[in-house]
Amino acid sequence: MAPAIELRSVVKDYGRVRALRGINLTVEAGQVFGFLGPNGAGKTTTIRILLDLIRPTSGTAHVLGLDSQRESVEVRRRCGYLPGDLRMYEGMRGSAFLDLIDSFRPQKRDPQYRRELLERLELDPSMPIRALSKGNKQKMGLVQALMHRPDVLILDEPTSGLDPLVQQEVAKLLEEAVAGGRTVFFSSHVLPEVERLSHAVAIIREGTIAAVEDIARLKSRAVHVLEITFAEPPPAGLFALPGVRELHRDGNTVHIQALDGLDAAIKVIAAYHIVDLRTEQPSLEDFFLAHYSASAEEKDRDALPAERR
Amino acid sequence: MRYRLNVVEKSLRDQKWQIVGFGIAFLAMAALIVYIWPSYRTTVASIQLPEAVQALLGSDLAYSTAAGFVSAEYFSWIPILLIVYTVIQGTGAIAGEEGSGTIDLLMSQPLTRSGMVVQKTVAVCIGSALIAGFGFLGFLLSIPFVDIEITLKGAALASANMLPMALLYYAVSLWFGSVLPNRAYASGGAIALATAGYFFNTIASAVSSLSWFKYGSPFYYYGAGLPMVKGIDWSHVLLLLGVAALFVALTVRSFARRDITIGGASNLRLRDMLGRVLG
Repeated sequence: MAPAIELRSVVKDYGRVRALRGINLTVEAGQVFGFLGPNGAGKTTTIRILLDLIRPTSGTAHVLGLDSQRESVEVRRRCGYLPGDLRMYEGMRGSAFLDLIDSFRPQKRDPQYRRELLERLELDPSMPIRALSKGNKQKMGLVQALMHRPDVLILDEPTSGLDPLVQQEVAKLLEEAVAGGRTVFFSSHVLPEVERLSHAVAIIREGTIAAVEDIARLKSRAVHVLEITFAEPPPAGLFALPGVRELHRDGNTVHIQALDGLDAAIKVIAAYHIVDLRTEQPSLEDFFLAHYSASAEEKDRDALPAERR
Repeated sequence: MRYRLNVVEKSLRDQKWQIVGFGIAFLAMAALIVYIWPSYRTTVASIQLPEAVQALLGSDLAYSTAAGFVSAEYFSWIPILLIVYTVIQGTGAIAGEEGSGTIDLLMSQPLTRSGMVVQKTVAVCIGSALIAGFGFLGFLLSIPFVDIEITLKGAALASANMLPMALLYYAVSLWFGSVLPNRAYASGGAIALATAGYFFNTIASAVSSLSWFKYGSPFYYYGAGLPMVKGIDWSHVLLLLGVAALFVALTVRSFARRDITIGGASNLRLRDMLGRVLG
């Protein structure tokens, strides 16, 4: 089966500014794929090339094996798209707007799924779009992208402006889409969001893919920081274990950093009377920030970690 | 894939109040001009306009005749209103959607760029025909009840004859909007051309040494109320429609080749603009 998305040496120049410097990326079908990068890194440019809204200066983009430029109508037929800068026809009622989007789609309409989406996102389609809040507009954008169950969902900053409860619901919807065999490709500049939603992630920096990683693998490689408070001062050298590092002590409280030694550390402290135990959520943030700033220093493109196929 | 006219439908829905508004103005003006003719007839019968003034009326139909009066008071200037409508639509079709940012969602649908342009063009053809039709309705509601020497057929022909020129300016403004994705610049360019066209024609008629100017003006080929008397000049109609079709084709070409912008282009320098316009 063709990959859901495949970009090969995609370069995009805006006048003298090189926005994309040779993007290579493969997104296999059937996963939630995060596209992570700071503002201005080239996320939106890449996404708009996939839908043939803009043309690459060189290189090729394929969606489901279809050429983004030559077979753009078929690509767009099989994609649901949420623009990063979402603007809808302000004068239309939500339901009329969704009808309009529906009218472009040769797929059979699924009014029941559309109703379900509106209900789950708590969105009232009888309101004119101009009367919707920013968050509700974003929900409308999501509904129009999802409602005809496209094979590939291309979402530019999907949870922007949504409150945490709605974000959770969106996460569920994306999971369900993937469970149904579809692919989700979404961009974000919020690291925990990518970590929460996606199976794999590509990091884009200054128009190049800096890394492609599996979320599960990343999490297993992540750094765990534990703050342990003992009832009595613990013996010195207690955490002299492989893969564990004691950061500092503060009376009965010890801060340790565990890499692959988490299990060993837990087993050691199990023999003691523990008053409090806190963990810092293993976050991609530190990982990527470290990664990102390291690669940012190396201006040589070849020094970047090779993309993973 | 079956062909859909959903963009035509959406465009007409968006324009409905404009069409009705312009239409009522056309209807009211047409009826008014016909109804006041009998009281003007005696006043204007003796008027022999100086050539230069006659020239401003857009045709050589004598002002003292019913056809000349209706031509001067209605058909010479009301197409300018129709051009206002078509230029609004022409600049809105691409530049307007880019300016408001809605184009991203529209063009992310399974719709070709040429399909989008063609559908919007069809909508404007229908819209202008409806507005001109409202004007004809004004004649229909007045001519049978007034002692006036123009026929309904003549009024219908002259009303329909407004469309080719209005569509030409539509096509030009559409093209401006595709090369300058900024509605203000595109409107400016199209309105400048329409104004120039109007004055070229009148100046050319008034100043004999400049009479060749008229060949550059769509208003000359339009000919105001002439179809009421002479019928439609098909060579002129074909010329106007041909140029309109050319500009629609140029638009399709330039729009299909370029990137879609969000928010449109702003702060274009004059040199860049000329570069884009001249291709």
